[in-house]
Amino acid sequence: MVIQILGTGCPKCKALEANARQAIEASGIAATIEKVTEIDKIMDMGVMMTPALAIDGQVVSAGKLLNKDQILAYVKGGK
Amino acid sequence: MGCACSCGGDCKVNLIYACSGAANTGLLADQVARTLASNGKGSMTCLAAVGADLSGFLASARSADKNVVVDGCKVAYGAKIFTKNGLPFEHFITTDFGVVKGQTPITGEVIETVALQIGRLI
Repeated sequence: MVIQILGTGCPKCKALEANARQAIEASGIAATIEKVTEIDKIMDMGVMMTPALAIDGQVVSAGKLLNKDQILAYVKGGK
Repeated sequence: MGCACSCGGDCKVNLIYACSGAANTGLLADQVARTLASNGKGSMTCLAAVGADLSGFLASARSADKNVVVDGCKVAYGAKIFTKNGLPFEHFITTDFGVVKGQTPITGEVIETVALQIGRLI
């Protein structure tokens, strides 16, 4: 599983990354985290608000700082 | 198209979509949407991408404070796309502003007039 954190490096983006790492650790699922910081790439993915979170190429959230449990639900396939 | 708001700040995010269709009214919808964006009413983004279920566009539409859909005519494909996806939106149709599909020439004055009227409503 590849989890992408989309954002240009603001505090909320960093917080989302930290929450994602906690979620992965809690899930026990093998996953890698990638940071997407280039605005052109972010917008190519259709994201108009950051921070955003994508899982295996699918953007699941934009403009929200998800907490660990919310990310965990997405990682496990929930909404 | 520009990023509407960085990093989940407190600013309001309006996203503007146009169904450009194939008629004069679609051209007007597109030009009105661009004018609204230029006038600071929001950021224009891609209606077709929402229709194609591209995840980033859907997530952005779900998170926007307001989605403004400008349809060219009463067939209202823009509205249908948003309804299909269960997304909230404010809807405008150019023919509700005195424009006749297949007849009215789309001039700069018409664009400005319709954009001004819609801009007051959003």
